[in-house]
Amino acid sequence: MTPTPNAFHHAARRALHDPALTAAVANATNTAAYKRRLALFAFGHEHGEAMRQQAAEARRRTLARLPQLLEQAEAQMQANGIHVLWAQDSAEVREQVIRIARQHGVRRIAKSKSMVSEEVELNHALEADGFEVLETDLGEFIIQLAGEPPSHIVTPVIHKSKEMIRDLFVERLAMPPTDDATEMTRFAREHLRKGFLAADMGISGGNFIVAETGTLCLVTNEGNGRMVTSLPPLHVALVGIEKIVETLDDYVTLTQVLSRSATGQAMSVYSHMINGPRRPDEQNGPDHVYVILVDNGRSRIYNSSYAEVLTCIRCGSCLNICPVYEAVGGHSYGWVYPGPIGAVITPLLLGLDRATPLPYASSLCGACKEVCPVDIDLPRMLLDLRHELVQQKKQPLLWRAGLRGWALMARSPRLFGLVARLGALGSRLLPKRRKLPIGPLGAWTQSRAVPDLAPQSFHQWWASRTKEGE
Amino acid sequence: MMSSRELILRRLKSHPAGSLPGPVERRAMVPEPADLCAAFVEQAQKLSCIVHRCEDAVDTLDRLLSIIGEDRRILSWDPHCIPLAGLADVLREAGIEIAPSHDASVRVGVTGVDAAVAGTGSLILASGPGKARLVSLLPFVHVAVVTEDQLVPNFEAWAARQRAAGLAGFRQASHTTVISGPSRTADIAMELVLGAHGPAEVQLLLCVAGA
Repeated sequence: MTPTPNAFHHAARRALHDPALTAAVANATNTAAYKRRLALFAFGHEHGEAMRQQAAEARRRTLARLPQLLEQAEAQMQANGIHVLWAQDSAEVREQVIRIARQHGVRRIAKSKSMVSEEVELNHALEADGFEVLETDLGEFIIQLAGEPPSHIVTPVIHKSKEMIRDLFVERLAMPPTDDATEMTRFAREHLRKGFLAADMGISGGNFIVAETGTLCLVTNEGNGRMVTSLPPLHVALVGIEKIVETLDDYVTLTQVLSRSATGQAMSVYSHMINGPRRPDEQNGPDHVYVILVDNGRSRIYNSSYAEVLTCIRCGSCLNICPVYEAVGGHSYGWVYPGPIGAVITPLLLGLDRATPLPYASSLCGACKEVCPVDIDLPRMLLDLRHELVQQKKQPLLWRAGLRGWALMARSPRLFGLVARLGALGSRLLPKRRKLPIGPLGAWTQSRAVPDLAPQSFHQWWASRTKEGE
Repeated sequence: MMSSRELILRRLKSHPAGSLPGPVERRAMVPEPADLCAAFVEQAQKLSCIVHRCEDAVDTLDRLLSIIGEDRRILSWDPHCIPLAGLADVLREAGIEIAPSHDASVRVGVTGVDAAVAGTGSLILASGPGKARLVSLLPFVHVAVVTEDQLVPNFEAWAARQRAAGLAGFRQASHTTVISGPSRTADIAMELVLGAHGPAEVQLLLCVAGA
């Protein structure tokens, strides 16, 4: 998808006027946030906080030794019979996948959910090269049919109502009309089952790679992750270089914190660990497994003051708790990663220039840090990004002039008093509806009423009081 | 020309080495249950599994046959890999054939487990000779035979066992999966539906060890 984060204000305004969308998103996020709380604190608050701390420690320990652990993971995966490739950017990922597909004579590809594949726009490139690509996660399948990007990193289709999905299935797949979610899911199951069985190649993401054992770990609820890594003779996994964990024990910690945080389950239905291609004495499994380690801007983040954001395990908790995400939905953010995590990593991955509104798409309430299973300080990073924007003079001229004027006024008591008196006078002359018709202040009052300024300022009152006391 | 691998690693290594985070006291995500068996049954039922507590091998086989019902083709692990005495004979006598593991038209798949997690009601299955991974995935109904001595308190305890055994055994299996209940989705309007791609029904035959 073409990134459009700079259109955030426009997209958000449209979303805010779409009651069906805001209701669907609020329903989904509130449910998910509630289930998360029940699951994470199932054994008490202290226990839950200790699990978060343990998860954060495991991820930070990885980050501190990332290059060494990547080398270890590569060597161990190779020892397990996995082909390991490295890709610096989107174009290189696409080239490598296409090269592998051609080399193995692939025509049909079944995919399970992978945010990296969205990030590098893989489907488009594969289809342009004549491959058939089928998304098999139910949510991803629905948005593939609709020709839309995902709006949430865990539950990609929360912006759509059941009726919208029904109409889509009836229209595009000739589903017999039904309003029953189970019947709709069964219908999709039959359709996608054929795709799994016919696929020459499976593409997946990866939730973790265990460095000490060279194990690729995937977490799914539907079972499509197991299908695409078990049925086709060839499996290619796209994994960000930050997804390494040091030990099997760290994986055990993190996969459970991920399940509890993402969907409120103690364990996702399928947590599977892949140690390579089918062994000679095994009946099922691919003959070839490739893991592509994807940089695509991550090593740049690693060398910046935002490195901690690379500990993210993509659980979606910060999306589910964020008042801004709840109000504007995922598409407003204009790229693959929405919500507070998206507001930080989108500018870091695409460049601040291409996502200037996103650091402001937050009320800085701090809820995202509070729920983060690895305790990433997202509010601090949002502030730092704003600071960078100001330093690089990326804000509109009027905005900067306004702030400079404010700074000037706020530094001089005399000027402050004068402006306050003028303001009090001016507010009495305002029309009753308290909306300013024109100019920058007009934009400001579109969603706010101008407050009444007190007829007398504190300073004036204090001065008169002191006089009386004399 | 430098390869992508070298370029990426060089960029990462240019990062000034920071101090490693201090160690944190590790604790299991799920506290160790007092009664493994009772906890396993309770948790598995919460996940929508159907749990049968079987008295002996005969009882277990009876229940298995009633789940298979009229079907004459099933998917199954090699009966020698399932801890249920007489399984191969009973299937043969009933005229039930074991289909190739990639046959997606079969309704019931029968497996054993390598371990079962009491604290979360999960099953752990490692692939290997006679233990085809598709048996627990393709059919609509997954039947797993679990013996009480296969229960571990939590996932951490399973990992500790793999480590004690040297991790080589773990790495030999191309695929180890932790299954927690039937396949599920809530992608359509957050409504929970069982049986998205994998089994919609998980039946557990829990037996006393050595029965």
